Amino acid sequence: MTDPVTGLRATIRQVVPIPLDADLSCGPGEVLALVGPSGSGKSTLLRCIAGLHTPMEGRIECDGRTWFDAGSGANLSTARRRIGMVFQHYALFPHLSALENVLEGMDDPDGAGSRERGRELLRKVHLDGLEMRKPHQLSGGQQQRVAVARALAREPHALLLDEPFSAVDRSTREKLYGELAELRRELKMPVILVTHDLEEAVMLADRVSILSRGKTLQTGPPLQVMERPATVEVARLVGLRNVFEGRVLSHHRDRGTTVVEWNGRRLDVRLQEGFPAGARVAWSLPASGVLLMPRDRNAGGILDNIVEGTVGKMVTLGNRVRVPVRVHGATEALLTTTVPRHLAESYALAEGKTLSLRLRGGQIHLMPPDDGPHGPAGDSRSIA
Amino acid sequence: MDWTALSLSLQLASATMLVLLPIGVWAGRKLAWSRFRGKALVEALLALPLVLPPTVLGFYLLVAMGGATPLGRWYESLFGHQLTFSFQGLLVASLIFNLPFAVQPMQRAFEAIAPEVREAALCCGMSRLRLLRRVELPLAWPGVLSAMVLVFAHTLGEFGVVLMVGGGIPGKTRTIAIAIYDRVQAFDTAGAGIMSATLLLISMLAIGLSYLVTAPGGFRRHD
Amino acid sequence: MDFSDFLRGCALAASLALGFAAPARADAPVIACAADLKFALEEIAAAFREDTGCEVNLVLGSSGNLYRQIVQGAPFRMFLSADERFVSDLADAGKTVDRGDLYAVGRIAILVPHGSPLKADGRLSDLAAALADGRLRKFAIANPEHAPYGKRAEEALRHAGLWEKIKGKLVLGENVSQAAQFAVSGGTQGGMIAYSLALAPPVARLGRYALIPDSWHAPLRQRMVLLKGADETTRAFYRYMQQPAARAVMKRYGFVLPAER
Repeated sequence: MTDPVTGLRATIRQVVPIPLDADLSCGPGEVLALVGPSGSGKSTLLRCIAGLHTPMEGRIECDGRTWFDAGSGANLSTARRRIGMVFQHYALFPHLSALENVLEGMDDPDGAGSRERGRELLRKVHLDGLEMRKPHQLSGGQQQRVAVARALAREPHALLLDEPFSAVDRSTREKLYGELAELRRELKMPVILVTHDLEEAVMLADRVSILSRGKTLQTGPPLQVMERPATVEVARLVGLRNVFEGRVLSHHRDRGTTVVEWNGRRLDVRLQEGFPAGARVAWSLPASGVLLMPRDRNAGGILDNIVEGTVGKMVTLGNRVRVPVRVHGATEALLTTTVPRHLAESYALAEGKTLSLRLRGGQIHLMPPDDGPHGPAGDSRSIA
Repeated sequence: MDWTALSLSLQLASATMLVLLPIGVWAGRKLAWSRFRGKALVEALLALPLVLPPTVLGFYLLVAMGGATPLGRWYESLFGHQLTFSFQGLLVASLIFNLPFAVQPMQRAFEAIAPEVREAALCCGMSRLRLLRRVELPLAWPGVLSAMVLVFAHTLGEFGVVLMVGGGIPGKTRTIAIAIYDRVQAFDTAGAGIMSATLLLISMLAIGLSYLVTAPGGFRRHD
Repeated sequence: MDFSDFLRGCALAASLALGFAAPARADAPVIACAADLKFALEEIAAAFREDTGCEVNLVLGSSGNLYRQIVQGAPFRMFLSADERFVSDLADAGKTVDRGDLYAVGRIAILVPHGSPLKADGRLSDLAAALADGRLRKFAIANPEHAPYGKRAEEALRHAGLWEKIKGKLVLGENVSQAAQFAVSGGTQGGMIAYSLALAPPVARLGRYALIPDSWHAPLRQRMVLLKGADETTRAFYRYMQQPAARAVMKRYGFVLPAER
């Protein structure tokens, strides 16, 4: 957990112009990813931290210094906060060379030794030899590297990245991920990365904060957020397709299981005592927890739940195939799993074929039922 | 060729241009970057001289600063001569009349700078002055130049306001445009012709320079 | 070209433009003259310069316009009006040194350019005929509202019974000099202007003229006056206007001179 004195902490609340209700913290050397769909306010939050936007209420501190406090009226300017910011479209000064861009990030661009420092920074981002080029003479990836060097030239207290990779092509992006991963080992400041790409967040971040409509819904290590979403909304936002309604029947501490009623059958899931027996719950299961079984195979371990169903319309995505399966049961429920193409072929999957699926109870995660805007969920159909 | 009148016109045009340069940069920049209540009203007021008949402006200026008005009397007490019928009066009228020509092109030029670039400058810790000097002006200078050229050319051609506010006093307020008018009335077509041709040439040079600088590919663009 | 070039260019342009100040004859007093005096006063001012070495600046306009400007504080030092009424009004308003002097009595004339279907008929019978048979489409006079010569032209036309018929075809000059310009420039078939202008060589060679009987209109009693703040040069010019040399010029331009002092 973040040391209360170091690192960045922010509480931001606002109603207009964009509703915000966020709590963030990021320790020194830690990478926090803000993830959410477009319009979720993540860029606005970043700009609040940068000082480019003043929220209505809240408090932002970094390394013990108060950057913003609505209560006391404190509001340090962007320059005084000393942040390094990397923008989605690079925002380089188009009329200055790469080196001059980097120099502007420094306190004393015209000072002795600054040029050498600037060259060193450009070398660190693999741009030596290109110092004198103007932005329009550089590729997208190279421009982004200049932007990073410029941000680092500032010796910032916090490094902020606003969807820095979304404007570059895939292969360049892969390269930049690697470089950022390499670079961050040396970075001792909090790093906040805004992205709409969950995979990117999973790859680069130590912690992930899921945002929707300006509200931070859940923060935690990426895999935890993805496999143990706190609510149905988070489950949806992290891309879980298998989200259903059920009812807790009983807990068995000795076996480490909880029994959940769903779709007319009983599922054995990982013990989660937070939900009392008899309570309605929502549950989620990642696609990796749904395994194909040919019809006549034997059942597996304690937490494996076997269901039968009919294959629906399959969608081939690259070298994986998304297989929706209509589960036979009390009501219609659609489970989704993805399998590598070769597996789909060797199992001879086709629409209309019946098969068995193994649901790994250890990956079934319980959440409060979704009584949100789409109305009280009263059925066991997928609500993802 | 009435050299006095030409000189007067050039002085008026230069003075207007030099005074409106900082005003235009300040206003253009503010309008480009700030959002405030009543901004639309301010922009409309600034654009007013574009559509206002010059005689209307001349009339209101006479009403506001003529010899019998409080403003006129205050000015006379300070400087010993009247504001109307003087070069300074022409300058005041010219400044008002040229505001949109100064502000609008500059505003467009500043607006054309991506907001992200300015924000990046702030993130780099640049002071406002350095931001102006190092980023905004170097990127917006074609618009600034274009505005200045327009102001210069437009002032050279001013007639109605200058006549009403200045009275066409030789040596003081008889600009070349008025001198041409006088020459025509005096049956001196040769004189009128020479001066008209001179003004035409200057105007063409001004417009040509302005387009050359702002046309895409004219000078090196920094997009 | 980049920003620093632009700065250098600015500095150069600024110094060029500002340095262009030709010495203005700012010390020469400005004399307001009725437009009918254009050629006559230019000659007199030139003679004045030769005789005394002093310069005056002439500003011509309709007497009414000049009167208004003086009331508003225009920096004129002397006013030669075509109608003495304006001088009396200025004197009453305290803008003048005294009540001035009558310096000339003017006449109006009809002027028709060469090639016009009109004839230069001082009794205006041809004009009447031209109105009737459609030869006349446009006729120029000075604006009667503020130009004395325009007012007299209107009176003469009324006297001849032509005003109602002709007023729809009138082109009004801002002053009688502009009216003369309209009369000969081809946009009209002729006009009624100051006799002094019709006599002037630049105008005379462009057309033919005929005097209008002076009983057909109120007299053009032209009065001049020194304005408050008149300096020595202006006073000298004022005196010069009353001397034989200047009076001879005025006579040549068709003015009737008041009796010798």
